[in-house]
Amino acid sequence: MTTLRPILSALRRHKIAALLIVLEIALAFAIVSNALYIVVGRLQRIDLPSGIDEPGLVLLQLATAGAGRGTVASAQADLAALRAIPGVESATAINSLPLSHSQWGLIYALHPMRTFSGGVQAPVYFGGPDLLKTLGVRMLQGMSFPPSAYRDLTPQNAFKIFVAARQALITQAYAKRLWPHANAVGKIMYMGETPVQVIGVVSNIIKPYISANAHDPGNYYAVFSPFRAAPDLNAWYALRCRPAVCPRVLKAAAGKLQAMHPTETLNAQESFMHMRQRYFRNDRAMAWLLAGTVLALLAVTAVGIVGLASFWVQQRTRQIGVRRALGARRVDILRYFQTENFLLATAGIALGCAAAIGINVWLMAHYAVPRLPILYLPIGAVALWTLGQFAVLGPALRAARVPPTVAMRAA
Amino acid sequence: MLDMRNVSKIYRTTTVETHALRDFSLDVREGEFVAVTGPSGSGKTTFLTIAGLLEELTHGEYVLDGVDVHGLDDNQRSRLRNEKIGFIFQAFNLIPDLNVLDNVEVPLHYRRGIGAAERRRRATQALERVGLSARVRHYPAELSGGQQQRVAIARALAGSPRLLLADEPTGNLDTAMARGVMDLIEELHREGATVVMVTHDPDLAARAERNVHIVDGMASGIIEEPSMRPAVRAQGEGAFRIPGAED
Repeated sequence: MTTLRPILSALRRHKIAALLIVLEIALAFAIVSNALYIVVGRLQRIDLPSGIDEPGLVLLQLATAGAGRGTVASAQADLAALRAIPGVESATAINSLPLSHSQWGLIYALHPMRTFSGGVQAPVYFGGPDLLKTLGVRMLQGMSFPPSAYRDLTPQNAFKIFVAARQALITQAYAKRLWPHANAVGKIMYMGETPVQVIGVVSNIIKPYISANAHDPGNYYAVFSPFRAAPDLNAWYALRCRPAVCPRVLKAAAGKLQAMHPTETLNAQESFMHMRQRYFRNDRAMAWLLAGTVLALLAVTAVGIVGLASFWVQQRTRQIGVRRALGARRVDILRYFQTENFLLATAGIALGCAAAIGINVWLMAHYAVPRLPILYLPIGAVALWTLGQFAVLGPALRAARVPPTVAMRAA
Repeated sequence: MLDMRNVSKIYRTTTVETHALRDFSLDVREGEFVAVTGPSGSGKTTFLTIAGLLEELTHGEYVLDGVDVHGLDDNQRSRLRNEKIGFIFQAFNLIPDLNVLDNVEVPLHYRRGIGAAERRRRATQALERVGLSARVRHYPAELSGGQQQRVAIARALAGSPRLLLADEPTGNLDTAMARGVMDLIEELHREGATVVMVTHDPDLAARAERNVHIVDGMASGIIEEPSMRPAVRAQGEGAFRIPGAED
């Protein structure tokens, strides 16, 4: 049986070495728990559902230059041509796309307001009658816009008309934010002092920009307005097709647009999956970087533990032999070193908890990192305890193999 | 108590075979004080490591307090060593990181069924027995050689062993300290402890009840010292015990 008092007594006699390893474990704990939280957060962001039917969506954006080009009328002609491509199930223009980094946003409130403080910001999507179908967004309540409701948005009238829409569809998340306990359909919300009636609620669709917190419901706030979009407002063309034929459709669509607009260029031609991958490229890189840092830090900590434990085993070879001569079994020696390591790790973890919270407070203040959930502290503790036990196992097994005859050797 | 018959110990390497003990036989009765003597390299220490269950014998039989040790695994040997044998080493072998009291408690940590309070009680009594109860908080480095050996003796006594094995117990002490330690060992013997002491010093050996001389790994002769025998018999048979200890 291993009792703590002799181990603590021995550690008190080797304060500096014990303190160094405790500090190393504390530092590793503090950084690992925060880094782990950030990595998990990034991975959760990467895995966030977009709310649209991703595999069958391809996108093109035409760069327009010069007055009278890329108008709504021209866009309608383009869309008619694109719909004629074999494999295209539906097509629409759209002012901005989820995860595209570019958004049109407005602030809506439950009461008329002269300033924009107190409302809830949401991106506004618009494009035409085929928008929902092409994206794969479902109507949940109410109804969609009647065909007669759609108006053309041009660079000349955009500001005036955009803010004057009287009807809107909103996402389920936005409806729940504005009317947590009531059906949103038929309710009035205000853009400034302009009343806007909610005529329907649609399934959630992710914003063009999402927050650092993957669990933020605001990532799914969105409003749909009854406008037709065109390339002169940097609109995209979105085509729905069967995933298997999408690459061919994209190529054909690009060729057709180039043929129809020989003097203009395509800004983008890609699948939505590709756009999504591009959006989360930094998150993925950050996750790898931090995961690598965590692994390196854990490896350094493990090396430190192995080094100190090996040194102590070597230094205590004679006393291990004496303990064996006095009746300690091999497992008693093994347990001694494992218990010693557990005590050092526990001290390090206790100190590391305070440091982890301190680092998190600093990250919250400087990098908009959310508060570290308390769950990460026990997770980090288990990781460090496990690491310590594995790291000390080699030296401890070497110690357990010290024969009792060592006690008989001349000092 | 200690019955060895035709014990041999052979150390083998790939090229060399060393016979450290050859057909060695010894029977130590309960309550005896036996000195094992011999020149350097004669096999004294090998005898002690086998008697103390620190090593396995190669051939022969060894029965310790009624237990045939042949075939015992490492755990069983450790347990038997812990329960039956108290070691007194030439180099004291105290653990420098532990204070006197903790040092004396060390073998009791490996004994089943002894709680912290009982450990403390036994260790305290053993230290009282060797006259060091005022030094319990001292560390080994703060004690003289003689005091350190007394702590080692207290450690050997704390577990109430059936047999005390002493390896040159005064080898690292000056004359005055050596005399004090030998007086203590003799006193323990008079109280009934079975003592086997390995020494190359004829003066120390003369204080034992019986001498066994080893040469080239073999017992060359057994010399009886009658003057000690009445004292042993007067005490009756039985090992040293800490009062109140039940094993």
